[in-house]
Amino acid sequence: MGDCAIENQIRQLRFNHGEMTQQALADRIGVTRQTVNAIELGKYSPSLEVAFRIAAVFGVPLDRVFHYSPASR
Amino acid sequence: MSFREKSAWISFVTILLVFGAYFWNVARIVGGNVGGHAGFVISISLIGAFILLEIVLHITLMLQSPEEAQAPKDERERLIELKATNVAFQVLMVGALAGVGMMHITRSVWVMGQHVLLAVVVAGLVRSGVQILYFRRGV
Repeated sequence: MGDCAIENQIRQLRFNHGEMTQQALADRIGVTRQTVNAIELGKYSPSLEVAFRIAAVFGVPLDRVFHYSPASR
Repeated sequence: MSFREKSAWISFVTILLVFGAYFWNVARIVGGNVGGHAGFVISISLIGAFILLEIVLHITLMLQSPEEAQAPKDERERLIELKATNVAFQVLMVGALAGVGMMHITRSVWVMGQHVLLAVVVAGLVRSGVQILYFRRGV
């Protein structure tokens, strides 16, 4: 529980987009701030739809936001 | 802490305290330390207190964060709710089956009723507890 093999660059991407807050990102993708925080910390793997929404907000392909690394599991 | 995690905490603590007192009262009735009528009044009062506490605390919580309270659950919150309900259902099933087993121990409908209520309460407690666990540790 909570161990996630999917790593992400959301923190870095938020920083690169004018230090976008978790709340601002959450509002744009339709989830709570706590869910964005859980995704960032690897405590929750989002659905494909939310993953694509995140990538769309930052204007990057999905694999720039998430990558699968089974070794970290 | 999110609105729904706070809500789960309210339910967990309220169930634990109020129904802890309720079943302590039931044990006193069974042990003959409290009269039937007095015990009944205490039981009904505690159930009333439970309903009142849940309503008042949730309204207070909603007033503190009205936007969060009105927002629909997101996918993580729905997943947590589903998983917690699944675990609670297993607990309820075990409690219900144990209730069936109680028929071999007692013929008292009152005792069997209390046993069923205990199963429901424990399932509710487990549901809130598992929700809190998933909110804290991740799902």
